[in-house]
Amino acid sequence: MSSALLQVKDLVKNFGALRATDHVTLDVLPGEVHALIGPNGAGKTSLVAQLSGHLLSDSGQIVFEGQDVTALPTHERVHRGLARSFQITRLFKSFTVLDNVALSVQARSGNSFSFWRPVRSEKALTDAAMVVLQELGLQDRAHDPASELSHGEQRILELGLAVATQPKLLLLDEPMAGAGPVESERILYLIQKLRAQVAILLIEHDMDAVFRLADRISVLVNGAVIATGTPEAIRHNPQVIAAYLGEEHA
Amino acid sequence: MTGILLLEQALNGLQFGLMLFLLASGLTLVFGIMDMINLAHGALYMVGAFLTAWLVQLTQSFWLGVVLAVMLTAVVGMLLEATLLRTLYARDHLSQVLATFALILIINESVRMIWGSDLALSMPQALSGPVELLPGLRYPSYRLVIIAVGLVIALMLYLLVTQTRMGAWVRAGASNREMAMAMGINIRRLFTGVFGIGAALCAVAGAMLGPLLAVQVGMGENILILAFVVIVIGGIGSVWGAFVGAILVGFVDTLGRTLLPLLFREIFSPQFASAAGPAVASIAVYLLMAVVLFVRPQGLFSGR
Amino acid sequence: MGSLNHKTPLWIWGLVLAAAIALPLFLHARDMDFYVSMLSRMMIYGIAACSLNLILGYGGLVSFGHAAFVGIGAYTVGILITEGFTNGWAGFAIAMGLSALAAAIIGAISLRTRGVYFIMITLAFAQMIYYLVNSIKAYGGDEGLSIKQRSDFGFGLDLKNDVTFYFLVLFVLVLTLVLISRIMHSRFGRVIQAIRDDDVRVDAIGFASYRYKWVLFVIAGTLGGLAGALMVNHQNYVSPNLMHWTQSGILMVMVILGGVGTLTGGLWGALVLLILEDVLAEYTLHWQFYVGWFLLAVVLLAPKGLAGLFRRQAASVTTGGAA
Repeated sequence: MSSALLQVKDLVKNFGALRATDHVTLDVLPGEVHALIGPNGAGKTSLVAQLSGHLLSDSGQIVFEGQDVTALPTHERVHRGLARSFQITRLFKSFTVLDNVALSVQARSGNSFSFWRPVRSEKALTDAAMVVLQELGLQDRAHDPASELSHGEQRILELGLAVATQPKLLLLDEPMAGAGPVESERILYLIQKLRAQVAILLIEHDMDAVFRLADRISVLVNGAVIATGTPEAIRHNPQVIAAYLGEEHA
Repeated sequence: MTGILLLEQALNGLQFGLMLFLLASGLTLVFGIMDMINLAHGALYMVGAFLTAWLVQLTQSFWLGVVLAVMLTAVVGMLLEATLLRTLYARDHLSQVLATFALILIINESVRMIWGSDLALSMPQALSGPVELLPGLRYPSYRLVIIAVGLVIALMLYLLVTQTRMGAWVRAGASNREMAMAMGINIRRLFTGVFGIGAALCAVAGAMLGPLLAVQVGMGENILILAFVVIVIGGIGSVWGAFVGAILVGFVDTLGRTLLPLLFREIFSPQFASAAGPAVASIAVYLLMAVVLFVRPQGLFSGR
Repeated sequence: MGSLNHKTPLWIWGLVLAAAIALPLFLHARDMDFYVSMLSRMMIYGIAACSLNLILGYGGLVSFGHAAFVGIGAYTVGILITEGFTNGWAGFAIAMGLSALAAAIIGAISLRTRGVYFIMITLAFAQMIYYLVNSIKAYGGDEGLSIKQRSDFGFGLDLKNDVTFYFLVLFVLVLTLVLISRIMHSRFGRVIQAIRDDDVRVDAIGFASYRYKWVLFVIAGTLGGLAGALMVNHQNYVSPNLMHWTQSGILMVMVILGGVGTLTGGLWGALVLLILEDVLAEYTLHWQFYVGWFLLAVVLLAPKGLAGLFRRQAASVTTGGAA
């Protein structure tokens, strides 16, 4: 499995008596869409938080591109190409939509301990940001404050912030949560466009989306991975059906 | 000789700590439940002291004066909450800082306009003498009474918070305000009540410490800082934390002030000791807080 | 983006600057040097408040110990002058250097905490410095330190002259405002404002938010020290009270009053508060009472401070709420 982009080895995280992550082992191959599904409270967000560096694991290893990143701070992981979007929207509400994305661009281009030169003079940043906005379909909202976007549009921007860091692997935590049908389609379309260039670890509850997009699916129940496989295999896996999918999807 | 001194200072520390607890408990509840920074909490302590001094003069009875002053201060506190402070709960911390800072100015000057910059308050005659606790250890009886009052109130608070329905509501509100509201607890009246009790506790502390520390405008600002240190050490929102924190701070501050200069004189040159000793003693409490925050960033007993 | 989208036309700045330059000359001609000195004092507080606004307003870091840096700057220059080192350039540089060092240490520790704990730890550090300075009997202890002469900057400048001193302060003030403006419009400033909105997200897009906060904290502390260096010169005196937590509170009040996170908010807040105090003190001993009510009115009626009141008049991009 040395060709895997991301390798998670035997990861453990406890919150007191609660075992949120129970010896999780999985991997993400370059260019694949790997979906992570499971009931509420299964520990999906905790796992993503450990992968992104927002939460420190108790034991286990996280290997990205062959390098051990288990103890690496979040911003370092982003520089190596491991970026994340959040389940609960985290935007820079006092910035315009364009400036939100421009900041992501700024993060990957050059030194930001620069105190004298006005950032507005850096056309390269806003140009690159505009390109991303066009991909997202938000170019008409470029100069609106991010706080004025609808919830669905904010979810798209949320995705855009992570994409703009030009990652190699995207950790997407329920990107369509709370988005309406139009925005959800947009997000699905974006993920389709991104795949093959960017590997994606996708947490989602929308089973239709998952089965449409995923190359492989891992099922997380009570903090442990109970199955990993192709959508077809997962669909017919009796353990998975019992624990999560139920009879309708069989 | 030093054993007696140690014991005496320990008792002083306990006494100061208990009074700090009275201040800190109200402060930690307000901060914990209402998430409000109230800089004017020390002003209520001052108001309690001034009202006591005034009413003692009027009624010629120490204890009657204290009781009346405490009740009056509670009323003042509740009025303050119902009119002004209530509007601040929804505001950000900075606005709360500005508003309660303004309140300090207003209350300080109001007191000065009514009574002047200070007011005399002496302890009851009957308690002005010492009591022999142990052979060789004579301790002021008034301070013993303060300790007793402090312990009794601490016990009453404990019973209130753990055994009564109001206490349950308070604990619920401290850990999850929205949930408490959803369960139908009348949050508004609860807040007013909590504030009133907090104000009353401040007044007790002000009344008890008045004869020892001098009743003067501005006495609130100095003790307020220590109260904040206490609740940070104890954990915001936790009354038990406020108790432990207050006793700790009381001991460290009092013992620090007497022991550290002595200790320094043993180890260092007299010049250095006479300068450094008191300095380190003053900051001992802050060092304690820094250490606690380093080890347990949420405080010792935080519920969050 | 709050106030940074609101461009005050350059000609207004020019007008204000012209007025600021003309005023002391006008007052001096009328033999009213006392007022020139008053204005200097207000501008010095303005510089201190603007330095606090950097971390409080723009950075969203509620530091309750900023007065400590002002005090360090003041005492450094005060002690140097007392010991015979009157060179202003060196004195101010050392004062700023020490403030920067203090900010670096205090920031490194405090910035690991958040919310109210950050407030308390900055407060604790300030109190520690207050008590430490209070105990240095050699330099006045709790009675404070008087200095016999002011800093000497050469070029025949006599700082004892109120008008000359005024222009020095004005120069520093303008420099400070230009510096803060450039910083906040730079790449660094962008990151800082993003941190105020959501510092977790800032990390998540690839910035080490802690480092940015720390650098900002050091810059703010340095500017605070600069204000202190000016202050000891102005009063010919410095006392530990300058570092008491209530002084930090007053600086915070000035920032909030003027408008958090606006370029000149700290300056206006300082001016308004100090003018109010001086005017009221003429009429009544209990001026603090009225100042208190005024501040209360501002909190209740003008949530964004005084700057917010004026901004509502001007057409501007709707913001998502600055303070």
